[in-house]
Amino acid sequence: MSLRPSSIRLRLTLWYTLALALIVIVFSVSIYFFVKGRLFQQLNEQLDRDYSSIAIEVTEEPADLRNSEPESPTRLFRVVQGKNVYYQSGPYRKAGLPEILDSLASRYQTVRSESGKRFRLATGMTKNDFLLIVAQDEEPIRMTLRTLFVILVLALPSALILAVLGGYVLAARLLRPVAAMAKKAGQISAENLSERLPIENPGDELGKLATILNQTLSRLEDAFERLRRFTADASHELRTPLTAIQSVGEVALQEELDANAYRDRIGSMLEETSRLTHLVESLLLLTRADTGRVLLDRKSHNITKLVEKAVEDMRVMAEEKGQTLTANLPFRIQAVVDEGALRRALVNLLDNAIKYTPEKGSLSVGLKSDDRGLAIEVSDSGPGIPADQRGKIFDRFYRIDNDRSRDIGGAGLGLAIAKWAVEANGGYIELESKEGQGSTFRIVLPR
Amino acid sequence: MKILIIEDDKKVAQALKKGLESERYDVEVAYAGEEGFFLLNAQKFDLVILDLMLPGRDGLEILMALRRQLDKTPVLILTAKDTVEDKVIGLDSGADDYLIKPFAFPELAARIRVLLRRGIDGQDLRLRLADLEIDLARHAVTRRGRLLALTAKEFEIVEYLLRNRDRIVTREMLAKDVWQETQRATPLDNVIDVHMARLRKKIDEPFSLKLLHTVRGVGFILTERNP
Repeated sequence: MSLRPSSIRLRLTLWYTLALALIVIVFSVSIYFFVKGRLFQQLNEQLDRDYSSIAIEVTEEPADLRNSEPESPTRLFRVVQGKNVYYQSGPYRKAGLPEILDSLASRYQTVRSESGKRFRLATGMTKNDFLLIVAQDEEPIRMTLRTLFVILVLALPSALILAVLGGYVLAARLLRPVAAMAKKAGQISAENLSERLPIENPGDELGKLATILNQTLSRLEDAFERLRRFTADASHELRTPLTAIQSVGEVALQEELDANAYRDRIGSMLEETSRLTHLVESLLLLTRADTGRVLLDRKSHNITKLVEKAVEDMRVMAEEKGQTLTANLPFRIQAVVDEGALRRALVNLLDNAIKYTPEKGSLSVGLKSDDRGLAIEVSDSGPGIPADQRGKIFDRFYRIDNDRSRDIGGAGLGLAIAKWAVEANGGYIELESKEGQGSTFRIVLPR
Repeated sequence: MKILIIEDDKKVAQALKKGLESERYDVEVAYAGEEGFFLLNAQKFDLVILDLMLPGRDGLEILMALRRQLDKTPVLILTAKDTVEDKVIGLDSGADDYLIKPFAFPELAARIRVLLRRGIDGQDLRLRLADLEIDLARHAVTRRGRLLALTAKEFEIVEYLLRNRDRIVTREMLAKDVWQETQRATPLDNVIDVHMARLRKKIDEPFSLKLLHTVRGVGFILTERNP
C-alpha cells in the first residue's frame, strides 16, 4: 500500500506547495531578522547620540545637572559617581530600572524594568570618571517586530492556500487532455477500434503521447483485422472439404450403388479428409510458430545438397508442365539451419513457382554468397506479382487471383509457412518481381 | 498374433479392431487405462497399440509400468500429441513406434508388420510379383524378362511397392520412406502422383495384366488380384 497520493494533479500541487512553503519560510525568516538587526542598530546609534550629548554636559558642568530640575529632561539617563547616584533624570527614575552602579560588561545591554518593560542601555565612563548610563525604551521596536511577525505568519498560510488552489486549478487545466484521453481510451474496445484519442496540442508531451497511443491503436486495429480475416478464411477453407464430405456421403446413402461405386464415393470422402488433415497441420504449424512453440534443430548442413535434393524432388512437376528447371549451384556451402524447415521453405517456393508459371515456361534456382549472407534464389518466368500485392502474398490464405488459385490447389498457406521457416532460421525472404516478366524469391540466410 | 488396443474413443477403437481382424490378427480392446493394464498383466500379447490421453491411467504411465516389469512387448503409441517433444518422451519411455492421429490405416498396418517382424526380416535380393521382378544386386527391374528403364526414384518406389505387395501404400508412407520426408504438410502429394503415373506407364501400359492400382482417397497398391 503506497502512501503516495494517487493523482498526478494532487502530487503536482503538493510538490510545488511544499517548494513554495520552503521559499516563503526562508524569505520571511530572513526579512524578520534583517529588520530586527536594523532596528536594534538604529536604537544603538540613538543611544550613542544621547550618550555623547549628555557626556559633554557631565564633563563640562556636572554641578549644573544637580541644580537642574530632575523632572525636566525627557531623556532617560543616570550619572554615578563612585558607588552613589550623582544624578538621574525623572523619566529614568519612573521607568523602574534595576539598580546599576557599576559599568556593565558590554556597552549595550537590554534589561527589564520592574513592570516588565524592556529598555536598552548604553554605559560608559566620562572623562571626569562619572559612570553614565543612557536608556531607551525598546517597546516601539518590539511592537514593530511583533507586527511584522504577525503579518508574516498570517501572510504565509494565505499565500500557500492561494498557491495550492491556483496550482490545483492550473494542473487540472494542464491535465485535462489526459482525462479526455483516458475517457476515450476507456470507450475503445474490439468493436470500435477505428476510433482514436483526442489530441489537443500535437506539439506538447501529452499530444505526443496521444499520437503514439493512436499509432498503437492503428497497429492493434490492423492486427484485429488480420485476425478477423484469418478466422474467416480458415473457417471457409475448413468448411469446404467438410461440405464435400457431407454431401458426397449423404448423396451416396440415397443412391442404390454397387460395391465399386460405393468405394469410389468413400474414396472421394477420404480425399477431402486428407485435404482437411493437411490444412489442419499447416494451421497448427503456423499457430505454434506464432507462439514460438516450434522446436528447431539447427545444425551445420550442406546447403548445396539440400537445394539440389529439393530441386530434384520437384523437377517432375516442372516436367509435367513442359517447363525447364535449371539449377545453378556453383559451389558447396555449409550453413547452420534446421534442415526440415529450410527444405519446407524451398519446396513451397518451388511448388509455388511451378504452379504459377505457365506451361513451357522456365524456372531457375541459384545459389549466391556474399558478405550479406547466403542467398538461394528461385526465379520464374511467370506473370509476376503486381506491386501492390507484394507485401500481402506472405499473408495466410492470401491469393492474388482467387479463382485461378483455387483450381491450381493449395489453401494459400505455402508462402506464409516458407516465410516462417526462413525467419526461424534467422534469415528473410526477398521478392523481386516485374509484372509480366516473372518473379524471383530470394531466401537470404546469415552465414 | 495377438494385439491389444488401449484407446478410449470407441469409434476409433472399433475401426482399428475391424481393420486389424481383417488382416487376421487376434484383437482385444480396452477403453480405459486400468482395464488395459489389467489385460496386459493377465494375458500375453504380441503387440500393444496405446493411446496417450486416457481416462484414469495415462498411457505413458502404463508404458513405463510395463517396462519396469521388464516386459518387452512391442508398444506402438497412437496419439494426437504431435510435437517432437511428445514423440521423444514417448520413445524414451520405451515405446517402439509413434504414430500421430489422424493416421492412415494402411500405414498403421505396415508399421505393425514391421514391429512384429523385427529381427527376422530377411533382406531378399530378389522380389517378384507375377512377371514383375526386381533384382536389387543388379539394380534392375524386369517385366516378362524385359528390362524396364526406370529412374532412380522409380526404382526405389518399385522396391517399396514390391516389399508391400498386395497391401495399400499411402502417399504419407511413400513420402516418409522413399522421399525421407520428415515434415508433414509438405506439398509432395502431387510429386508422388506424377511419379506413380509415369511408373504405371512403364510397368503396366504395355501389358494386359495391370499390377499398379490407385485406391482412391487412400493410396496405391501393387497386386495381381483385382483390388
